[in-house]
Amino acid sequence: MTQRIFVCRCEDVTVAEIDHAIALGLASVEEIKRYTGLGTGPCQGKECTVALVRLLLDRGTIGADAVQPFTARPPAEPVTLAALSSLATKAQAQDEP
Amino acid sequence: MFGADPLLRARDTAPLAAERRLTILYDDRPIAATRDDTVTAALLRAGVVATSRSLKYRRPRGPFCLQGDCGTCLVRIDGVPNRRACTTAVREGMRVEPQNRVLSGGPDPTALVDRMFASNLDHHHFMVRPKLVNRVMQEVARNLAGLGTLPDRPAAPARCEEHHPDVVVIGGGRSGRAAASRLRAAGLDVACLERREHDLGTAVAHAHAVFGVYPAEGLVAAMDTAGDGDVLRTYRAAHVLLATGAREVMTPLRNNDLPGVLAARGLAELLARTGDVLACPTVVIGPPSLARPLAATLGADALAPDEVRAILGGGRVEAIATSSGKREAGCVALASPAAPASELARQAGAQVQWNGDGFAVVRDADGRCGAGPWTLWACGEVAGTTAQDAADDGERVAAAIVAAHRQGTIR
Ligand code: FES
Repeated sequence: MTQRIFVCRCEDVTVAEIDHAIALGLASVEEIKRYTGLGTGPCQGKECTVALVRLLLDRGTIGADAVQPFTARPPAEPVTLAALSSLATKAQAQDEP
Repeated sequence: MFGADPLLRARDTAPLAAERRLTILYDDRPIAATRDDTVTAALLRAGVVATSRSLKYRRPRGPFCLQGDCGTCLVRIDGVPNRRACTTAVREGMRVEPQNRVLSGGPDPTALVDRMFASNLDHHHFMVRPKLVNRVMQEVARNLAGLGTLPDRPAAPARCEEHHPDVVVIGGGRSGRAAASRLRAAGLDVACLERREHDLGTAVAHAHAVFGVYPAEGLVAAMDTAGDGDVLRTYRAAHVLLATGAREVMTPLRNNDLPGVLAARGLAELLARTGDVLACPTVVIGPPSLARPLAATLGADALAPDEVRAILGGGRVEAIATSSGKREAGCVALASPAAPASELARQAGAQVQWNGDGFAVVRDADGRCGAGPWTLWACGEVAGTTAQDAADDGERVAAAIVAAHRQGTIR
């Protein structure tokens, strides 16, 4: 196996890949997320966001005062489509007279 | 590999009472488990560390955080893919299977991807042209990159249940539990939602994983998968208290993804809960102020991150290369200052601020952090307190909620 340093294990994003993105001119949490896919796997950024911020602060591409994580959206936990659709079915049934 | 070199073993070597013993199947082979075990605890005791392969580089992966945060312990359970092994309690005869592998048994040919792309794999520029090559690549990538394979049978529709407590407490850890019991003592109707099945039997009623907080709809939504059939529960309440705690942050080290690399915090909690001890040479890697005391409790060694050149191993941790040579290890525990687990708070509309360790919820002196269809509150580590102070903080904020609720009801 190669020796990689991971920041996001869900999407396999390494420190080298983030440095590559920084070299391309990307700097913020949001930009790095969009370019590398970091934070978009099953953990939804729970493991990697803060590790990324610590790295970017270290690289000096962002400042600690204004830094914000990327938007948090549901679902934060695994939920099946079947479960979500049962909620919709129920709402529909209630709407009908 | 199977059954070799367990990571954990029971501290107590006396045989278990028959009613405490049960058997689960991993990849069709029986594994002994203890009632109240999580699937991960049983697997680590049986020496099963790697349970899937990663999406891009196809590297072996196993559990890390041990508390339902990271998502690499996903396995197939009773024909359903992507179940978290670390938060799921064992049941007699449960069928657990690894996922994201191409062949069962033997070396996985897709592991070559890791070597072929020894430097970066930038998907914005890789095999984009010519068009035909791109089409082939897309197809291959799509086939490899999914998580698990489809369930054995279509999922039965979930039941929906609506709840209207006075207070929803999200999180049943130190602060959430303390707050919930204070609120209940004051006569309030409380739903305390904790996603870890193995915390059942405490002040927490069921394992409820809150997946969404929807301020526009005034709704907290949670999945309950612990019983027979999934239940989707929705909550509307006058007060929502965020007590989601904090979590380990990944330490950047070479091969920090190897199976057998675990979050120190999760590991310490797992050992405390199950009464297991480490069964292999273990090294805690982290800043000395954190790593040393932890290593002492675990009976492990401590190293600072800058002393470590790489974690070494094939399919799992075998050794650590340090500045002064190589040392054997079967398990690595990574310790770093814990970061507040503030995603649900942000979904709910609370503000967060970088506090040097992570993003902590910003709240007023009473613990309020927002308004809307409910009053939003935060307590414990998610609001930046230490783990030691979390329970006290939970009680303090609960007292403020009781006062606010009484005022609200009088008005
Ligand atoms: S989610 Fe199970 S080990 Fe992290």
